Amino acid sequence: MIDPHELVDKLVSALPDMLPNLRWFGGKDRPVSGVRPLRTTLLDDDLVHVIVAVDQDGRSSPYQLLISELADSYESTADPELNGVLLDLIARGERVDGLVFAHEPDTELRTGLRGRPVGVEQSNTSLIYGQQYILKLFRKLTLGENPDLVLHRALRGVGCQHIAQPLGSITTDLDGTPVTLGMLQEFLPDAVDGWAMATTSVRDLMAEADLHADEVGGDFAAEAHRLGHAVASVHADLARALGTQTAGATEIASAIASMQSRLDAVLHDVPELGEHSAALREVFEQAREHLGDIAIQHIHGDLHLGQVLRTVQGWLLIDFEGEPAAPIAERTAMRSPLRDVAGMLRSFDYAAHQLLVGQDDDQLAYRALEWARRNRAAFCDGYAEVLSDPREHAFLLQAFELDKAVYEVAYEHANRPEWLTIPLSSIARITSGGE
Amino acid sequence: MVEETRPDAALGLEGVPHTGEAITAGGLLTEPQAEDFQSAKAAPRDPVWYKGAVFYEVLVRAFSDSNGDGTGDLRGLASRLDYLEWLGVDCLWLPPFYASPLRDGGYDISDFRAVLPEFGTVEDFVYLLEEAHRRGIRVITDLVLNHTSDAHPWFQESRQNPDGPYGDYYVWSDDDSRYSDARIIFVDTETSNWTYDPVRGQFFWHRFFAHQPDLNYENPDVQEAMLDVLRFWLDIGIDGFRLDAVPYLFEEEGTICENLPRTHEFLRRCRKVVDDEYPGRVLLAEANQWPSDVVEYFGEAEVGGDECHMAFHFPLMPRIFMAVRRESRFPISEILAQTPQIPDGCQWGIFLRNHDELTLEMVTDEERDYMYAEYAKDPRMKANIGIRRRLAPLLENDRNQHELFTALLLSLPGSPVLYYGDEIGMGDNIWLADRDAVRTPMQWTPDRNAGFSNCDPGRIYLPVIMDPVYGYQGLNVEAQLNNTSSLLNWTRHMIEVRKQHHAFAEGDFTELGGSNPSVLAYKRRWRRPDGHEDIVLCVNNLSRFPQPVELDLSDHRGSTPLELTGGVRFPMVGELPYLLTLPGHGFYWFQLVEAGDDSVPGGETR
Repeated sequence: MIDPHELVDKLVSALPDMLPNLRWFGGKDRPVSGVRPLRTTLLDDDLVHVIVAVDQDGRSSPYQLLISELADSYESTADPELNGVLLDLIARGERVDGLVFAHEPDTELRTGLRGRPVGVEQSNTSLIYGQQYILKLFRKLTLGENPDLVLHRALRGVGCQHIAQPLGSITTDLDGTPVTLGMLQEFLPDAVDGWAMATTSVRDLMAEADLHADEVGGDFAAEAHRLGHAVASVHADLARALGTQTAGATEIASAIASMQSRLDAVLHDVPELGEHSAALREVFEQAREHLGDIAIQHIHGDLHLGQVLRTVQGWLLIDFEGEPAAPIAERTAMRSPLRDVAGMLRSFDYAAHQLLVGQDDDQLAYRALEWARRNRAAFCDGYAEVLSDPREHAFLLQAFELDKAVYEVAYEHANRPEWLTIPLSSIARITSGGE
Repeated sequence: MVEETRPDAALGLEGVPHTGEAITAGGLLTEPQAEDFQSAKAAPRDPVWYKGAVFYEVLVRAFSDSNGDGTGDLRGLASRLDYLEWLGVDCLWLPPFYASPLRDGGYDISDFRAVLPEFGTVEDFVYLLEEAHRRGIRVITDLVLNHTSDAHPWFQESRQNPDGPYGDYYVWSDDDSRYSDARIIFVDTETSNWTYDPVRGQFFWHRFFAHQPDLNYENPDVQEAMLDVLRFWLDIGIDGFRLDAVPYLFEEEGTICENLPRTHEFLRRCRKVVDDEYPGRVLLAEANQWPSDVVEYFGEAEVGGDECHMAFHFPLMPRIFMAVRRESRFPISEILAQTPQIPDGCQWGIFLRNHDELTLEMVTDEERDYMYAEYAKDPRMKANIGIRRRLAPLLENDRNQHELFTALLLSLPGSPVLYYGDEIGMGDNIWLADRDAVRTPMQWTPDRNAGFSNCDPGRIYLPVIMDPVYGYQGLNVEAQLNNTSSLLNWTRHMIEVRKQHHAFAEGDFTELGGSNPSVLAYKRRWRRPDGHEDIVLCVNNLSRFPQPVELDLSDHRGSTPLELTGGVRFPMVGELPYLLTLPGHGFYWFQLVEAGDDSVPGGETR
């Protein structure tokens, strides 16, 4: 039996040095000025749950950790046996001090499974239990219910077929506000993400660039069509479950204003964007002038090919958290579903062009564009089978797409300068009237 | 008034025993009996042999000609049994070799109890069976239950003597209005399922060609007569039947006249005859339908199946081609996920190619367009609803793909059915009519007529393949036997490996998924009666490019994958996903050897 508080004390003193090296730590750009334990819970003889406040620049953010004396450098999530405790607690629906482990109504879970951590992850930690369940632990905690859990539950409630079904949760309160610590979902071992599917198709096309995109064996259009259908079904289900509103001139003006201010900020950092600034502003202005009221609702918020999974039952959408860097108010607000569509359309562009980075080959560039056009169109066709055709709202869709591309410019500039050509050439193409 | 003719007049079987040689005082046709012939010694006893057998479809006409008339025959086939035994074949499937006017490739049978004279005699068939059984090889053949040729003496009697014992053997009607909900299957050639017979002055019912009248299963005598046909060949020693066109036996007003309950009832009667009188023989259903419908033909699951022992899995085959062209496992994964469990005593038959076109009936319209675009670039390659090509040309003669496809055929759930000639990578001839493209003579040697026949080359039933890529001078059995790296030797080795692991035959199938859509990975797990588990792991790269894959083998932590073709031990499975890399169109077969299992050669786990 360990003394949890002694262990936490040791952890807290080690954390300031450890944090910058931990993958899930979101504040790597600023020095850590202090770490304070907020809550310590003994979950099992060898397993301690701890929430710490990490102070940086006078701001403080809560993070959760699972630690054990048995683990190297405290962190226990690498230990499949210890991870099994979390699933068992959820299955039994237990409350341990302030932590609430619950399974969704009408679900029964297997216990005694080992939990293997997923290798590749950024801001969260996910554990896979026996090919059946996946538990996502949110590392940096946000006050208020997590949109991922809220939207998954709502979609389950209306019988949505295009999600991994939610099975349970770990929640608590911090300062009287609910906080989501983790979400358990069905795990789909046969799933492949949309990015891998799409780039497989592009690779096939690039190897036979004398054939057109609709002639090669690896043509993706049928998948893109089904994907469009799936995204529209999820939008329809979200609207059914959580309602819709109408955004009027004021809301639209403020959305356009934030696009303009993002553009201003990026122009400041990335001079290459300068030649497109007038054209971009014109598109944003046009959107403002031509728009009447638009329907808004809850949406995915950060949709791209990496957030969709192909399974034998069809396409699923995952990770309804919204853009992790955005403030929680924005992530949970109702917005136009065309934002999700724009995100997917941008993603098709990326999938088509990513193999060309650093290459200068007109033939391949032509094929890439052909692939992107074919699959963007197929996606919209599939979407239009369920909801209205997104291309009917060309002004708004274009504005969303360009706004996304401006964001990509900033991201590539900071992280992968050689990829900058992808969003820049898209901006040039869209503003000059191409798709 | 049409002059009455002898009922056996249209058979052309003078001098050999046949149906209708004589007519009894009661008007019954004399039929040959099994006792008139010798019967073959049975194959070694094994009641569930079909679950693990490697089948080989061979056209008698195309395999070997023993008498120099330019057409393959039963004696010729018997002379090639050593080759088939060497290859590892367990069971031959022969398309019909019965007496027939050959207006539908022999599926228009004019006498169920006689052999087509150009193929030989019933005695020759007994000889083939005897020789095959001596080598442990079984033989099954097609049997058409639904209809006969209009040259069959039964039909001749039926049209001439409506009040005689055969008057009610076929479905006759005064008009052509009944059963109007039944679709017309051969829409290219037939305009109705009814045809007027001027001799009897009535219409007769036919689901296929107008020269193939449907038997009337409402008549108990027909049921008995067909059961006796089964008994005739089973007595002679045949190991089973592929039942052709089974969904159509009965008609019922207001239905589409397919898959009716009474059709299943009759199949149960056939099965009972087999179980009671001829245990160890099999019935294989040909029902080109979706797997969820085909399972009906296995019968009641609670008793392990009480209709057919086997059925072909039609939709899987086109999807294997599609998956490789798309470099995506989903076409295969989806159809296997939609395939229901089958009763204990049953098994699927799976195949890549057969004597018909690569059939595309069991795909969606979108998929069919895709398959045509990818595999039938020349419109001549299309036939009916399908593609009339052999395996090697379909794969553009790519050895790596040919091996990958064969590995899939030998490792996916079901008993594999090879098509003659594909083991040496034979080509096709799309300038021949219809499905003859894939029915050219087997290529044995570089000699005259590819060693198939010593006849004058002009007399041969179809020209041998002579093009520079697939021509018999270079591509033949003899050349490949002498080359250890040939496709033939490779195929034989893979069949041998398959037979060493019963998991390939009866093991559970579990797909492993994985993050790479181009890699299809699955486990086959078989629990031996002594409780020992045999687990094989198959990993297939459907892409032409090299691929990595990370597989979740956490259930097998501590096991060691033993590669099955070479016996190389791979690194032990640990906690992390198991990383493998595969060359373009590459595949692996592993046995997962548990730590401490010393039943495996070199099984120590140091």
